[in-house]
Amino acid sequence: MHALVFIKQVPQQNSVKITPDKHVDASGIEPIISLFDEYALEEALLQTEKVGGQVTVLTIGTEADKEALRKALAMGVDNAILVSDPQFADIGSLAAAKVGAAAARKVGDFDIIFCGKQSTDDETATFGPALARYLDIPVLTYVFKVESVDPNAKMVVLERALEATIETVESTLPAVLTTVKDLNQPRYPSLLKIRKASKATIPIWGAADLGIEAGSLAPKTEYLDRVPPPPRPVGSIVDGTSAQDKAAKLVDKLVDAQVI
Amino acid sequence: MAEVWVYLEAGEGGLAPISRELITKATELAAGLGGSVAGLALGANAATSASQAFNYGVPKVYVIEDPALEHYTNEAYVAAAMELITQYRPTVVLTGTSIQMRDWTPSLAAALDAALAADVTQVTVEGGRLVATRPSHGANVINKLGFNAPLVIISVRRQVSPEAKTTGGSGEMIRGAMPALKQRTKVRSVKAKTNAVNLADAQIIVSGGRGLQSPENYEKLVPELAQAFGGAYGASRAIVDAGWVPYERQVGQTGKTVSPKLYVACGISGAIQHLAGMRNSGTIVAINRDPEAPIFKVATYGLVGDVNELLPALTAAVKAKVGQ
Ligand SMILES: Cc1cc2nc3c(=O)[nH]c(=O)nc-3n(C[C@H](O)[C@H](O)[C@H](O)COP(=O)(O)OP(=O)(O)OC[C@H]3O[C@@H](n4cnc5c(N)ncnc54)[C@H](O)[C@@H]3O)c2cc1C
Ligand SMILES: Nc1ncnc2c1ncn2[C@@H]1O[C@H](COP(=O)(O)O)[C@@H](O)[C@H]1O
Repeated sequence: MHALVFIKQVPQQNSVKITPDKHVDASGIEPIISLFDEYALEEALLQTEKVGGQVTVLTIGTEADKEALRKALAMGVDNAILVSDPQFADIGSLAAAKVGAAAARKVGDFDIIFCGKQSTDDETATFGPALARYLDIPVLTYVFKVESVDPNAKMVVLERALEATIETVESTLPAVLTTVKDLNQPRYPSLLKIRKASKATIPIWGAADLGIEAGSLAPKTEYLDRVPPPPRPVGSIVDGTSAQDKAAKLVDKLVDAQVI
Repeated sequence: MAEVWVYLEAGEGGLAPISRELITKATELAAGLGGSVAGLALGANAATSASQAFNYGVPKVYVIEDPALEHYTNEAYVAAAMELITQYRPTVVLTGTSIQMRDWTPSLAAALDAALAADVTQVTVEGGRLVATRPSHGANVINKLGFNAPLVIISVRRQVSPEAKTTGGSGEMIRGAMPALKQRTKVRSVKAKTNAVNLADAQIIVSGGRGLQSPENYEKLVPELAQAFGGAYGASRAIVDAGWVPYERQVGQTGKTVSPKLYVACGISGAIQHLAGMRNSGTIVAINRDPEAPIFKVATYGLVGDVNELLPALTAAVKAKVGQ
């Protein structure tokens, strides 16, 4: 079985700055693999270990994102590919999925694709479903348990976690799965693999390699503005002579403000 | 004429609250864009949702009613929506942000080459243009989006608009046929979660953190206060990770994002990842023994002291007031 995993490198802390030209500036913040993508990586490794095969990890980004790919290699994935081109900068998750689909097609022989349910920076939860659509294969989002993967019968059975229910779904392969937290326990990289990963050469695929024409990724949304969250109205400490007194005063305020 | 469509989700005993809210929003947007409102209903009993929408003032509903739509599957719902959208060409489609909607909308946007704004906290018309607001980066960045596409799909959070009122009106139902589809996915079974918690719909949420000191203490103090308020209860990640409380209750960047009318944070320090999930709440009450705790920076009202004393006192005070 050949599993693909799409991962995104994101800032560990979201205490980012916004530049005057409306870009998010995460300089100085440690980059990590987006939380949910760690579960995607682990699940790809677990499932290929069961049935045999290989895992290829991809990211659409810049040279700096090779660090995330090396971390994935250190976890045990077999191949890593950086998909990078000036045209792909800041294109958003929907267009990134179009690029991802072209990269998956270039890889060619995949059986299953894993993504995180959403990135922890842009948080659009768009890439996986859009990728599946561009590849014309099924998508199964919010997967919290993979019951079985059969690359020969080309079938997967899994559970999706919805708000109040759990759905058991079967699907043909290839398919895109997006993973939630706690679907597994992501492994720690071994020292040996870290060393090997640091020396690995990571191929870079650009727009020309993928047959993506200039202008075909024109964004359909634009940032009119990007600002920090508005400060909350200044609050006040409710003081009192005892816990009971404080509680009673607070309740009065909540009633006066028609909150309760 | 430009049409603003609302996806009509079936809820318990009628249209889902989000759909009623979106009818209000769509009416406002349609007025701003010089267009009209219409509904989109898909399902095995979609005509029922259509009739319910007429009662909330929606004049027209596009419907595909078919047994293939009994259970939501991405491919069937995308195919059905595409059928109606490509034929009747709305300019805007509004949906909610339930898991199935967040599964559906990006697929639809990709399939139709539409613009997408996911999980927005506001959408308005400014100078004749549609503008959507969505937080990202754990609510540390507020993005204002404009669109350059003939079709814009927007998933909107709960409680952005008030629910539409019933008008007793009637309307026109426009039926489409379910397109032929080779189903590649199948829902085998659906079971209820044993510990399902609906935090997103709660008007009042009381959350506890490590300051509660033990799972027993949390269980003793937090649910009782939530119950007095008639609300739901949540938790910080610290105590979810410690195994005191199931993940379903976690509020924050890697848990649920909530914006209730009232959020009460008890023994929670106010880490940026926790704030990401609750800073859009209407009124925030913080209860913490450390007057320097960052949670007080976002609090409307703060109580400084020990949760062991303040929570029982508050429960009693709320009961006394609300019980009157
Ligand atoms: C990638 C990432 C994602 C994360 N996602 C989330 C998330 O989704 N949600 C989330 O909550 N956190 C999240 N966190 C964790 C977050 O950084 C904090 O560690 C966590 O929120 C702390 O929980 P807490 O406030 O309960 O505990 P603490 O920070 O330990 O705070 C406990 C508070 O209780 C007070 N206290 C102690 N005893 C009492 C008492 N007797 N009476 C009154 N007050 C008392 C203390 O003064 C203190 O302020 C995330 C972290 C990372 C790195
Ligand atoms: N630039 C990217 N490169 C690779 N994978 C990505 C990229 N952007 C998003 N993804 C994947 O899609 C998931 C959802 O991201 P998003 O749609 O941004 O919320 C992430 O968890 C990744 O698995």
